[in-house]
Amino acid sequence: MATLSINGQSYFTDSPPDTPLMWVIREDLRLTGTKFGCGLGICGSCTVHVNGQPVRSCMVKLADAEGAVITTIEGLHPSDSHPVQKAWIEAQVPQCGYCQSGQIMQAAALLAVNPSPTDEEIVAHMNGNLCRCATYSRIVGAVQRAAQLMREGTNHG
Amino acid sequence: MANTNTKGITRREFLVRSSVVAGSGFLSIGLPGLIASRGADAAGATPAFTPSIWFTITPDGMTTMHILKTEMGQHVGTALAQVIADELEVRWEDVRLDTPLESVENFATYGLAYTVNSGSVTTEFDRIARAGAAGRIVLVEAGAKLLGAKVGDCRAESSRVIDKTSGRTVGYGEILQKVKIDRKFSYPSDFKKIPLKDRSQYKIIGKSLPALDIPAKTNGQAKYGIDVFLPNMAYGALVPPRTRYASKVLSIDDSEAKKIPGFIKAVKIDDAMGKCTGWVVAVAEKFPAAMKAAKALKVKWDAGPYANLSSATLLEQYKQLSTDEKAGAPWVLEGDVDRGFSESEKVLEQEYTTDMVCHATMEPLNATVQFTNGEWHVHVGTQSTSFARMTLTAYLSQVLKKKPEELKVFVHQYLVGGGFGGKQDYDDILAAAYCVKETGRPVKLIHTRETNFATSFARTPTYHKVKAGIKNGELVAMNQDIVCGWMGARFGVGKKYGSDWLQLDSWEENKRDIDQWSIGGSDHWYYLKNHRVRAWNHEPTTWAVQASALRTVSNSYNIFVVESFMDEVAAAAGRDPLEFRLSMLNGKGGNRGIPNSGYPPGTRSDYYMDQLWISLPWATQDSWPLYESATVGGALRLANCLRVAAGKAGYGTKRLPPNTGLGIAVTAAEERQSPTWVAGIAEVTVDPKTGRFTINRLTMAMDPGAVVNPRNVEAQIQGSALWGASQIMSERLTLKNGAFEQSNYGDYLPIRLAQVPEIDVTIIQSDHHPSGVGEPASTVVAPAVANAIFNAVGARVRHMPISPEAVLKAMKQKA
Repeated sequence: MATLSINGQSYFTDSPPDTPLMWVIREDLRLTGTKFGCGLGICGSCTVHVNGQPVRSCMVKLADAEGAVITTIEGLHPSDSHPVQKAWIEAQVPQCGYCQSGQIMQAAALLAVNPSPTDEEIVAHMNGNLCRCATYSRIVGAVQRAAQLMREGTNHG
Repeated sequence: MANTNTKGITRREFLVRSSVVAGSGFLSIGLPGLIASRGADAAGATPAFTPSIWFTITPDGMTTMHILKTEMGQHVGTALAQVIADELEVRWEDVRLDTPLESVENFATYGLAYTVNSGSVTTEFDRIARAGAAGRIVLVEAGAKLLGAKVGDCRAESSRVIDKTSGRTVGYGEILQKVKIDRKFSYPSDFKKIPLKDRSQYKIIGKSLPALDIPAKTNGQAKYGIDVFLPNMAYGALVPPRTRYASKVLSIDDSEAKKIPGFIKAVKIDDAMGKCTGWVVAVAEKFPAAMKAAKALKVKWDAGPYANLSSATLLEQYKQLSTDEKAGAPWVLEGDVDRGFSESEKVLEQEYTTDMVCHATMEPLNATVQFTNGEWHVHVGTQSTSFARMTLTAYLSQVLKKKPEELKVFVHQYLVGGGFGGKQDYDDILAAAYCVKETGRPVKLIHTRETNFATSFARTPTYHKVKAGIKNGELVAMNQDIVCGWMGARFGVGKKYGSDWLQLDSWEENKRDIDQWSIGGSDHWYYLKNHRVRAWNHEPTTWAVQASALRTVSNSYNIFVVESFMDEVAAAAGRDPLEFRLSMLNGKGGNRGIPNSGYPPGTRSDYYMDQLWISLPWATQDSWPLYESATVGGALRLANCLRVAAGKAGYGTKRLPPNTGLGIAVTAAEERQSPTWVAGIAEVTVDPKTGRFTINRLTMAMDPGAVVNPRNVEAQIQGSALWGASQIMSERLTLKNGAFEQSNYGDYLPIRLAQVPEIDVTIIQSDHHPSGVGEPASTVVAPAVANAIFNAVGARVRHMPISPEAVLKAMKQKA
C-alpha cells in the first residue's frame, strides 16, 4: 500500500508502485479534475503541483510521489477562488473545459514564483498545455489578470 | 421510464400544466407533455415532474432549463436558457440547467438529441422563445387571479407577476403553490400566434452573461464521460487493430497478459454491423493493468481489403477516378460551363489536394456501460445520446439475438471534452457493452491517446481539379471536380438492421445521390453565369479511413480550394482579389437568398438537408420552419463582411514589412441552406530562406444575424479561427498500409499558444434570425493564409496543410 499527501489529506492506494500518478489520482482516489490527455507529458491536461512545481502527473510513478506534497485542482484553493480561477471565470476562458484544470495549475505555479510575468514569459510557461478548443486568445490576458489580483492581494477571500 | 402520462396527448398539443402535489406545484411546459420521473415516490411524498421538455419551474422559485443539446464547449445551455428566460421573465439567477436522460420514452417526447452543424440556436430559438412566452402568459393569468387583478393590468418581471394598478406582486414559486394551471396551446396553430418580444425589449438575450458551465470547469468539479464510476466496475483498454477498418481477428494469445495482476479477460469484440472491426479489448480491475494487458496480448489479424492502402496510393486512385467524367455526379449545374470555357479568352486550370485530419479531442473517446435489472445504461459524453441509444440497441439486438423492442437502453449524458464532430460515433459504447456481456461487470472503456488515433474518424483526403474561364477580366465559367471518400455512408443504423427509428435512411435510399456532407462549400455564393461542380465517391476511402464529419465538414477543404483559386483567377484576370470578389458577391440569381416567406421546393442542393430535417420528429412539412432562413439577404451580407474585415485589416493601405502579405477569404459555411457569413483576412510573414511562415494577425468579421451572447460568439470565432490556423499550419493525418501513422500529440500537431496570432473579431449583429457560430469561421483562415503567403513571396501552395518545404518549392517555381 502506498500513502500519498494530496490537498492536505492522506490517501491510500494498493496500485503497483510503477503506476502513473495520474491514474492513481483519477481512478483510485477519484479526484477527477486531473485529466488524462496523452500519457506522454506533452499535452499538460494532467498537470498537478508536486512540492509546488507544476508536474505532468502521467509521467510520475506512484513510488516517486510518496512523501511529496501534492496539490490537484481540487485543492488549489479552499473555496475555489484562487486568483487564477477568478481570472479564468472573469475572462470566460474555458470552452469544453477538459484541459483547463491543467492550464490553471500550470498558470498558478508560474504566478507563485513570478508575480509579474511578461506576456512572453507566460507564453513560454504555458506553451506545453494544449487546448483543442484553442481558448489561447484569452489565456495570456487571464494570467495577467490573475497576477494583478494576486498583487492587489484580493486572493485572501 | 416507470410512468408516463403522455397518453392521449398528440404532438400537436402544446401543454402548459402544473400539478399541485403534497403542497408543491410544478409548472412544466412541453411538447407534447409531461413525464413522471423515474423513482418518484408512489405515495407522492417526493413529487417530481421531471424532466418535461424545455423547462420546469419549482415552488422554490427555481427554473430548470432542460437542455437536449450537448455541452462541448459552445456553452449552448447558457444560450438556450437565455432565450427561454427572456421570454419567460425569470431572474437569470434563478436559472439552472439539466440534461434529459435518453430513452425510448424521452425520445418520443423530446425528439432527437443530436448536436451538430452549428445548428442549436438556429433551430431551437423560435420554439423555445415561444415556449418561454407561453409560460409567462399563463403565469401572468394565474398571478392576476391570485392578486385579484385584471390580467391586462399585470405583467411579469424577474420571476414575479406585478399588478401595475396596485403595485402588488407575487412570485412564480408562490403562484405554483397556490394555483392549479391546466391550459393547452395547439401546435402549431396557437403556438405560432404566441407573440414574441421585439428585439428592443430583450433583457437577457443579447447580453454577454457568464456561461453557466464555466465555474465547474475551473475547480475540477465538471464531470465528463471519462469521470464516471460505477460499483464493481472493470476497465477496458483496446489493442490497436492492424488496420483502421475491416481487419478480422484470427487468434489471441493471452499467456503474457495473464501474468499481469488484475487482468480479467481478453474480449474479442463482435463486429456485428461492421463496427469495431478487428477490436480486442483487455479487461482488467484497473485501467493501468488493462493498458499493460493490451500491450501483452498477442493478436493475429487478417488485415482485410484495405491493408495495402496508403495516402499516396489513394491520391493516385483519385486522379485516375477523375478521368472517368461520366462517373462524376453533378452537384452544381448553372448555365453551360463547356460553352463558357470555349468562349473564354483565357482558361486557368489547377489541381488542389488536402490531407486527412482528425478531431484529436482532448478527452479521448470513452464509454462506461452497465447492465442492471434488465436495463442497459450507457454513461458517456456524446454529440447524440439518441443515436447512441439507437445504435447500441441495434447492435445488442444482433449480438443477443433479441428484438430491438425487447431491449431497454438508456443513455446518460455528460460533458464532452471536445466534440468537433468526433463524438457522433458509438463504437466505444458497443465495445464496452460487449465487454459487459462477456464479463458480467460494468465496464469503463478508455482509449489511450494511441488507440484514439488508431481508431480516428478522419476527414477524407481530397483531390480537386478546378478550371476557370476568363473573358474581359471577368470569370465567365468555373468548374470544380472533387474526388474523396463520402462520409454519409457510415452514419446511422437504418432499416438494414431492422430499425424503423429515425435514421439517415435517406442515405441508403438515395445512395446514387451526392453526399452533401462531402461536397458542401463548393456551392459558393459568387454569382457565375456558368458554374459546375462534379463529385466522385472513392468508396474504399469512405470505409478505410472511416471518413467522417469534422468541424465544418466539407467546407474545411472546399473553401480552401475555392478561395485560394479565386485569388489565382483574380491574378489571371488582372484584378484585385478584394474588388474581384465584391463584384461577384452581388446577390444576383440564386445568391439572393431564400425569400423570407418560407422554404421553397428543394433545389438539388437542398435535397439532402431537406430529407434530413424533415425526418426530425418536430419538423413536419407544415410546422417547419417557423423561423427565417439564414440565407435571407444572401451574398450581399457576405460582401458586407468582406468590406468590414478588409477595412479593419488595413487592406490596400497598411504598410507591411518585407516578405509579408495580406490574404483574404470568405465563407458561407455551414451548408448552403444554413450559411453564416464570414470574412477573414490573414497577415502572414514568410521567411524566404526556410519557407517557414508566421501568422501575425487574423481579422475576422461575421454576420450571424441576431446574437444571443456576444462574448461567447467572440470565443467561438476566436477558437474556430485558430482551428483553421492549425489546419493550414500543421495538422496532418496519413494512412500507411491501412493504418494511421500518427499516434499522439508528438506527431499530430494542433496549434499551441506560442503560434497564436492576434485576432481581431467583429460581430455584425442584425435583426435576422440567428445562424450558427460554432464552426463557420474556421474555414476562411486556411485560404486566407495561403493567399497571404502568395502575396508575401509569390508562392502558391495548392495543398493543405502548407509545409515550409512546399512554400520553398513554390517560390522556386515562381523564380
